[in-house]
Amino acid sequence: MFSRAARPALRAGAAAAAIPARTANNAATYATLREIEGRLKSIRNIEKITKTMKIVASTKLTRAQRAMNEAQNYGAASNEVYDAAETKPLEGEEKKPLYIICSSDKGLCGGVHSGLSRWVRRNINHGEADLVVIGEKARSQLGRTNNQDMVLSFAGVGKDVPTFADAQAIADQIVQLQTQYSGIKILYNKFINATSYEPTVIEAFSEEAIAASPNFSAFEVDEELIPNMREYALANSLYWALAEGHACEISARRNAMDNASKNAGEMINKYQILFNRTRQAVITGELVEIITGATASADM
Amino acid sequence: MVFAWKSAGLSYNRYLAIASRVVRRSLKEDKRIAAERRGETDLRFAKWSNGKQGESKNLVDANSSGMASNAGSASS
Repeated sequence: MFSRAARPALRAGAAAAAIPARTANNAATYATLREIEGRLKSIRNIEKITKTMKIVASTKLTRAQRAMNEAQNYGAASNEVYDAAETKPLEGEEKKPLYIICSSDKGLCGGVHSGLSRWVRRNINHGEADLVVIGEKARSQLGRTNNQDMVLSFAGVGKDVPTFADAQAIADQIVQLQTQYSGIKILYNKFINATSYEPTVIEAFSEEAIAASPNFSAFEVDEELIPNMREYALANSLYWALAEGHACEISARRNAMDNASKNAGEMINKYQILFNRTRQAVITGELVEIITGATASADM
Repeated sequence: MVFAWKSAGLSYNRYLAIASRVVRRSLKEDKRIAAERRGETDLRFAKWSNGKQGESKNLVDANSSGMASNAGSASS
């Protein structure tokens, strides 16, 4: 009973509290109106930008996917040899593996890069492996936590579809590293479908591992040619990883920008309603003032 | 088996890159422009030691100069 009785009083109290506030910054209502207008304008601009980025990413996506499919053939063809030879990475040695992380320079594409960095942090302990990082984003993320393990970093990837020349140049630089590694593992984002991707590892074997594989003699390859083959296979796998990672990034960016435009649209609707309502309130307030003024002066 | 490019200090990938560049340049004009775009790289790289990033350098230049210095040791 009390609560029902108390409610009007409460409402009156709240109204009493609200009214002085509104009248006190009557000038401020105009300011908030202008503020809302400014907010609305900036959200509209952001929506325009994200929409454009989405369109750009959509057009790039088909090209990236085509490049990815072609690059998968490259990688699959060179892995065919190792499958047939049943090559396995050598284990039980004190040599460290080398991880190559294929991300890119550009952000605004959801969790593509941080997914890779998280995988590295979760699966590689300090001092267990050396890291080669391709792309500024993963470099800055891993540079904070795993900087002791990093040996090389590459920048300038991701402006366009990666070329085989990119992969070759990176492979060359990795081959020139002084340390001997038990094997090279390439970490990239595997493209599952347009909305999902997951960090995956491709193996690139060392010369010893290739030479030690059980069925390798079937190919009748000279011992001397193995280093060449290994370098070429590394470039192939890198190209594959870079192209697939690029396709993932573009599709992730498309999705991210799609969501961003949607959210911006929602915000625009909300702010538009708020804006209209505030404007109406201001007009009503002014009318009330004028009428009360007029009636007051008419009475006199 | 001794390869001329190996004794010149080139790696297999570098050898392939040069060979493909030659092929691309000898194409007809209209095809050449499209093909040459596939051969472009614009990468920079930096060496890390003890958790510190070293100087950032152009990858292609560094590769060719690195191979040139290999040439002396490989041929001797």
